Formats: sequence, C-alpha cells, structure tokens
Amino acid sequence: MKVEYINPFIDSTYNLFSTMLKSEAKQTGVSVSRTVNDPGDVTAIIGLSGHIRGTVLLSFPTATALAMSSKLFNSESTGLDDLVLDAVAEMVNIIAGGAKAKLTSDGEEPVKLSLPTVVRGKDYTLGNPGQTKWLTVGFTSGLGPFRLWVTFETNSAKGGE
Amino acid sequence: MKALVVDDSGVMRKVLMGILKTTGMEEVAQAADGLEAVKEASANPYDLILMDWNMPNMSGVEALQAIRGKGIKTPIIMVTTEAEKSRIIEAIKSGANNYVIKPFTAETVAEKVNAVLKQAAAAA
Repeated sequence: MKVEYINPFIDSTYNLFSTMLKSEAKQTGVSVSRTVNDPGDVTAIIGLSGHIRGTVLLSFPTATALAMSSKLFNSESTGLDDLVLDAVAEMVNIIAGGAKAKLTSDGEEPVKLSLPTVVRGKDYTLGNPGQTKWLTVGFTSGLGPFRLWVTFETNSAKGGE
Repeated sequence: MKALVVDDSGVMRKVLMGILKTTGMEEVAQAADGLEAVKEASANPYDLILMDWNMPNMSGVEALQAIRGKGIKTPIIMVTTEAEKSRIIEAIKSGANNYVIKPFTAETVAEKVNAVLKQAAAAA
C-alpha cells in the first residue's frame, strides 16, 4: 500500500470536521504498523470492497467522542450511549465514503462500503490477513485528539502493495 | 408541510430532522431503511423525502426506484456518502430531485430543501 493513498482519507477527515463538526482537524503524524495497537476508548470500523479492498478505523478517546457528539447535536453528551456510538459509526462512514470517491476513476465501479461496526474498550490488537500494513494518522482538533487507521489493497492497474 | 427522513443512522436522522425544522417543516417522520421508506411513502402523503443510499434490507436508490414505480411524485433528495459521478447520475436517472453529499453543512441541506420545495410548488 502506497503512503499517498492515505491522502484522500486525511482530506475526507478535514472535510468532515470543517463542515458537520465546525472544528478544524490537524494531522500530527503518520506511521506504519502490522497491527492496530493501543486503540482509543471507542473505535468505528468499516470495510471497503471492489477495486479496493480494505478496512478503515476511526478511534477516539472518550472525551473526544463526547465532544464530537455534543457538537453534532448541539447538546451535551455525558456518556458513551447508543447515540454517541452511532455518531462515531457515522463519522467513519462519511470519511470512508469521501475517500472512496477520490480513489475511484470515472467509469470505474464505485467501491462498496460495509455497514460500520463500533467497538468499545482498548484491550485488543487488530491484525489483517496477508501482508498489508496499517497506516495510522494522528489528529488534533478543537474537539480533542483522535486517530485514523487505514489498510487496503488495490486490484486495479493503479497498483497497490 | 410533512417530510420523511430515511437513514439507518439514528444520528443522521436526528441531525437532518433538526435541519428540516429550521426550514419550517411542521412534521418530520423517520424510517431506518429503504423498505420502511417505501411502506411509509406509500401509506402517507409527504411533501419531501430525504433518502440515504447505503442501508440494510433495501438501499436508498432501490427505494427511490420503488417509490417512483408506484407513481409517487414526492420530491426526493438523496443525502449520502456516495460521491462518485456515476452514483449521482444513477440517482437522478432513478428519479431523485436533488443530491447532497455527506458531510454537509446545515446551510447546504436547507438550501437544497428550499429549492426542491420551490420547484415542486411551481410545478403544482
């Protein structure tokens, strides 16, 4: 997986924060790993299939998830209830949706997204079959820090790993 | 004025319902997938439908086609992460009146809602 393929996901994250969350997100760094280690308190996962196959994770500390949810609804969220978890799921859906459009050329069948899944808790490690690696992007924002993990392979002539 | 918001995400339904209230929509109902949307749109007259694309059981574009297949002319705006040109063309050909790509601002949604309602009133 080429590092530049992460850019649509970063752009999509900036777009989400500037539009629906009225907050500026800033990238703090990118790293590569074989597994997802030390995720945040709440993590949304979504799958990509088609000419790109992969997985996108969006992970928040509790405080960031609550601040994001409060901003979205314009009312204070105080606990990780179903609405907050649903908000986190929708955020990863929007980020992956925005990115996949940029990774699809005209005339190419659009990449399909799975329905998102949300995981609570931090005590796990997520791997990926095969040799693909995870690209991790750290962000800061007016709502707190968060991280994005992306791994995918391409089937098209654009080339992947 | 009465609208139907169709999205499998409760969050997105809540956000869109809030925006519709600011446009003066008096009553807003909700559905969580395409099947529910077709059932609702067939049973009750709506002035506007906001429709997500990716939903379980029946997708938004399938619901759109089913609603138009029943001869229901309610204005429908797709509100979706599907941003590819081919998807937008597919939705418009299937009978969508307008298209909003997520993420959106409240202002964008309100502008498109008002434009579609104005067109519908002019055509009536």
